[in-house]
Amino acid sequence: MNRTLRSRSLARGGATALVGVLAVAALASCGPADTTGSGSEEPIDWELTETTAAPSGDIDSFTFATYAEPYSLDYAYAFDYADNSILANTCESLLRLNPDYSLSPGLAESFAHPTPDTWVYTIREGVTFHDGTALTAADAVASMSRHLDPAVGSFWYSVYQNVKSIEQTGEREVTVTMTGPDSQFNLGMGGSAGVIESAATLAEKGADYGNSTGGVNCTGPFELTSWESGESITMTRYDDYWDEGLRARSGEVEFVFMTDPTARINALKSGSVDGSWMVPMEAVSTLRSAGKGDVLFGMSTAVGNIVVSDLDGPLGDVRVRKALLLAMDRDGILQAAYRGVGETTDVMTTPSVWQDASDAARTAAFDDVTSYEQDLEQAKSLIAEAGAEGAELTYVTAPISNDFAVISQATVAAARSIGLTVNVETVTPNAYTALFSDPTAREGVDLFYTSWYLSSPDALEMYSVLRTGDFSNYGGWSDPEFDAILQEAVTIDDPAARSELTAEAQRIANAELPWLPLYQAPISLYLGERITGVQPSIAFMYYPWAATIGAR
Amino acid sequence: MTAARRVAGKLGGLLLTLFLASLLVFFSRFLVPGDPVSFLLRGRKPSAEAVAQVTAQYGLDLPPWEQYLRWVLGLLHGDLGRSLQYRQDVTEVIGDRLPVTLMLVTMAGTIVLVAGVVLGAVAALNRGRALDRFVLIGLTVLGAIPSFVGAIVLIAVFSVQLGWFPSFGSGQGFIDMVYHLTLPSIALALVFIVLVGKVTRSAMVDQLSREHVEVSTSRGVRRSIVVRRHVLRNALGPILTVSGVLVAGLIVASSIVEAAFGLSGIGSLLVQSVDRLDFPVVQAIVLFVVCAFVVMNAIVDVLEPWIDPRSAAGAGAR
Repeated sequence: MNRTLRSRSLARGGATALVGVLAVAALASCGPADTTGSGSEEPIDWELTETTAAPSGDIDSFTFATYAEPYSLDYAYAFDYADNSILANTCESLLRLNPDYSLSPGLAESFAHPTPDTWVYTIREGVTFHDGTALTAADAVASMSRHLDPAVGSFWYSVYQNVKSIEQTGEREVTVTMTGPDSQFNLGMGGSAGVIESAATLAEKGADYGNSTGGVNCTGPFELTSWESGESITMTRYDDYWDEGLRARSGEVEFVFMTDPTARINALKSGSVDGSWMVPMEAVSTLRSAGKGDVLFGMSTAVGNIVVSDLDGPLGDVRVRKALLLAMDRDGILQAAYRGVGETTDVMTTPSVWQDASDAARTAAFDDVTSYEQDLEQAKSLIAEAGAEGAELTYVTAPISNDFAVISQATVAAARSIGLTVNVETVTPNAYTALFSDPTAREGVDLFYTSWYLSSPDALEMYSVLRTGDFSNYGGWSDPEFDAILQEAVTIDDPAARSELTAEAQRIANAELPWLPLYQAPISLYLGERITGVQPSIAFMYYPWAATIGAR
Repeated sequence: MTAARRVAGKLGGLLLTLFLASLLVFFSRFLVPGDPVSFLLRGRKPSAEAVAQVTAQYGLDLPPWEQYLRWVLGLLHGDLGRSLQYRQDVTEVIGDRLPVTLMLVTMAGTIVLVAGVVLGAVAALNRGRALDRFVLIGLTVLGAIPSFVGAIVLIAVFSVQLGWFPSFGSGQGFIDMVYHLTLPSIALALVFIVLVGKVTRSAMVDQLSREHVEVSTSRGVRRSIVVRRHVLRNALGPILTVSGVLVAGLIVASSIVEAAFGLSGIGSLLVQSVDRLDFPVVQAIVLFVVCAFVVMNAIVDVLEPWIDPRSAAGAGAR
């Protein structure tokens, strides 16, 4: 499973690195032993699917397997595939992040931006929580304010870091005042940072809110009915759901936690589970040949990068970074790691987060950038120019999934071909996670791999991470021009105007390579023979995807 | 030695063992590299105040001895602390998963004992013959199959191919649970059958060559009665002793089987919790396994004289 140790960043200063720590062990479907052999496997036929056939009718229930149990369904801690993909069906946000990554009104029927420093949300009328109580502006204030409470320690704090106050300013009106203009705050309201929970429930459950004892009481199309620790979460259709268009087609949905990839694939093959997001690529052909369901691929925002985490070493010279990327056989990597599912890329964002961009920005971002197609001659001459022959680098990896092994070996091979030495250190998944949060864990480490996805529909989210001093700017890369562009872009509300600055930032990152971009791969989905009606997209982390699934 | 003094002595030893185990279990966590708080925040960018607050919430800012005291005092009140990963009381986290493991271990233990004793007895009674060799080789082969391989084969054949048993989950209610845990308990039992089988065989072979057995046989007592009254009964001692070890072994080994069958027991929880630096959960489970081991041995100690009157009089009488 590729997507495990991906990290993602949040809006503005934020960059919150997310590392799906544990999940990982689970996903090690093929294991390192498979590394070398997998390149010879048949490539997988794939295309992006936007939506599957509409259901022929409602269905009593269906089951979905997830590779891990959520740590919590508290939206403040929902920051990983396992948590978000389940939470998205029961709890809703002020705005709704749609499968095409557009934002539309959610629990806020509208929002306004009367001054550069304020965002005003009008709370929708006629919405009820699952316990039947009505949604009020006070619930929104209480829910959002938790992100500011240090005792909560919200994982989404970075979205709120420029918030000065959150106040109820009318019967149905909530005003958020920022310390300065921040275009990214509102974009974050489509994710878990914008989830609204009943204030009474928050007060009543206290520290147990969101865990398997306390549960949640939200407004989504499904209501949480049971959480069997370690095994499953069951939700039932909420009959008084406010949005007719997203009324659940299934009376019940059960999410079963299957950490063992073989167990998960067996359950899918035998039909005892109806579907799963993120099936390991290694299993795609078996699932297809079993012939009971479909393996689909959907839009993703993730890009696989090698993070350059030490700019004081040989990689401090941009020529060495370029040479290393030029030496990489990225087509080969894609083939070996993902059976060819995906595309190589020279930038850190996918076109899916440039939807509101101007045409000029899109051209600048994707066409007017340097291509790093494999070129050993050029790479060698760059190394010679930099005088870096014989330099030694340390690459840290973990036995997480097939792609981790493939990419580490490919990096070793690329380096060797241009006269560099890369020593691979393999650590536990847990120690690997520490690379993303603990600077001391990165000492002596030059390179590590991450698959980084965006959770807001704006490419700027990616580049905020690379500003000087940012939490997730792992190599301590610093470029004053880049910082100035970011600082200005964040304050611009018009997405088209903002995108032109983001394109500038992308151009600089493409030229300077603080991280080495490798490829973008779609999100995979398995749908069994009983169900249909879902839009495969990485938005399944925030959009109530299970609601649209019904009988095939 | 009076019975009361013997029990008191045993109890004292038991408490001392548990106390030493608690020290070991608690302080060993400080030898593990890694910061629980950074795990708790899982790589997300926290605010500085949040880090301090979260550290304090879990008592991680206190000196280790004070953390130990709080932990032990909590234990005495039935409070095992709070899980870092699940943000939930450890008693709840473990309480939710314990029934599955206990059931799995009970079922596997039963399979191990029944199959082990039967196979061992069959081998012993046919010592030197083809059947004996067949059983011995069979046991050795079984013992060499790792649990996860057994699990994969069982799932492939009985779940995926034949569709007789579910491939994951622990079921709802007693009957359904037995049904769901059948394959997992067989997978778990396989490795341990060899242990009990071989112990049974050698204990019985040993007994069969004893004088009183030979005397009884020569007096014309029926062989089945001799086997039941003398051989099997006297062989129970070693079998029982092995069973004490067996329980702890089964609990520990259950993690692999639980993972393969997607069961949420404390075995798989232990593995996850170690990886996630969730010390309160690790400490509680390890302490539980130690307790199970100590208690099983105590039970064996108590049962031994009942089964074999010779040991009640003390070793000197042997």
